[in-house]
Amino acid sequence: MPIIKKQVPKIQCTNHDDRINNRDFTGLVEELYSEDSTARRWAVRDLAEMPDVSSVLVDRLVVENNAGVRTAILNALAHLGDDVAIAGLVHCLRSEEAALRNEAIGVLKESPNEVEPIISTLLTDSDSDVRIFAVNILESLRHKNVEQWLLNVIEKDSHLNVCATAVDLLSEVGSERSIPALKQLKIRFEDEPYICFSVDLALKRIEEGSH
Amino acid sequence: MKQILVIDDAATVRLYHRNILESAGYSVDEAINGIEALEKALVKPYDLYVVDVNMPKLDGYGFLNEFRRQEDAVQSPAIMVSTEMGENDKVLGYAAGANLYLTKPLKPTELLSYTRLLLGEVA
Repeated sequence: MPIIKKQVPKIQCTNHDDRINNRDFTGLVEELYSEDSTARRWAVRDLAEMPDVSSVLVDRLVVENNAGVRTAILNALAHLGDDVAIAGLVHCLRSEEAALRNEAIGVLKESPNEVEPIISTLLTDSDSDVRIFAVNILESLRHKNVEQWLLNVIEKDSHLNVCATAVDLLSEVGSERSIPALKQLKIRFEDEPYICFSVDLALKRIEEGSH
Repeated sequence: MKQILVIDDAATVRLYHRNILESAGYSVDEAINGIEALEKALVKPYDLYVVDVNMPKLDGYGFLNEFRRQEDAVQSPAIMVSTEMGENDKVLGYAAGANLYLTKPLKPTELLSYTRLLLGEVA
């Protein structure tokens, strides 16, 4: 009687240690381009524990379509926080894709130490959209210089929407020291109803907050 | 009274648009991102949507793409409002289902004129 070998179902390895043991840099980079999004997400997670991986993650980020994998890459880049990683995140601010821009803004908002050295550059970028996103990043950066950075914007930036975005934020974080610059901005854009409205609102909130 | 949903993550912008629209006799609700807008729009039919582009969680394109797929929802017109004025941004807005793509900040007369136009109130 022939022996019939029973077909044993293949068990997918999900153990974290087993996953790591057989995974070197080259293998993980290959996996980063796997058709399986779960495999790509794990590859991102494992690569993030290795040195000098920011550039491969940035390369993958710009072609990645899966939202979960993209979030994993953005978080990994924020965790790595080196120059290449931050440059990759900043590059996303120039993306045509609104979702990617917003995801990058969200990650940069959570990285105050990494953003601090580059925020002045972003706030004076030649692209007004990038300057607006830079102001958006300041929104929850929780850094002692936020008010001063915003004052620099409303005193020097000539773009209406960049100033408008900064005023929105100043109405939340501004103190009495912002009042002269806000009044000056209203004079500079006296024909723009939205600026006049938002400056009045900011002044009211600051004055209420000081009492 | 016509019902309008203003969708923007910036509180000042929402208040500005609300004040303009309410002063002209419209009833206004607000949403702070695309997810909240979808939740509101799927339970209450609005006559018009004023939609920002860049918002956390779900942006304006995402909101319109998803909302326009809802066969049971009343497909009212939408004005997309953004600081971005590139041709590609407009194309994306119209592809998502916007009826108009306007650049921020809007002047009160501009917002009211286009609102009346899209609501069919222009003689």
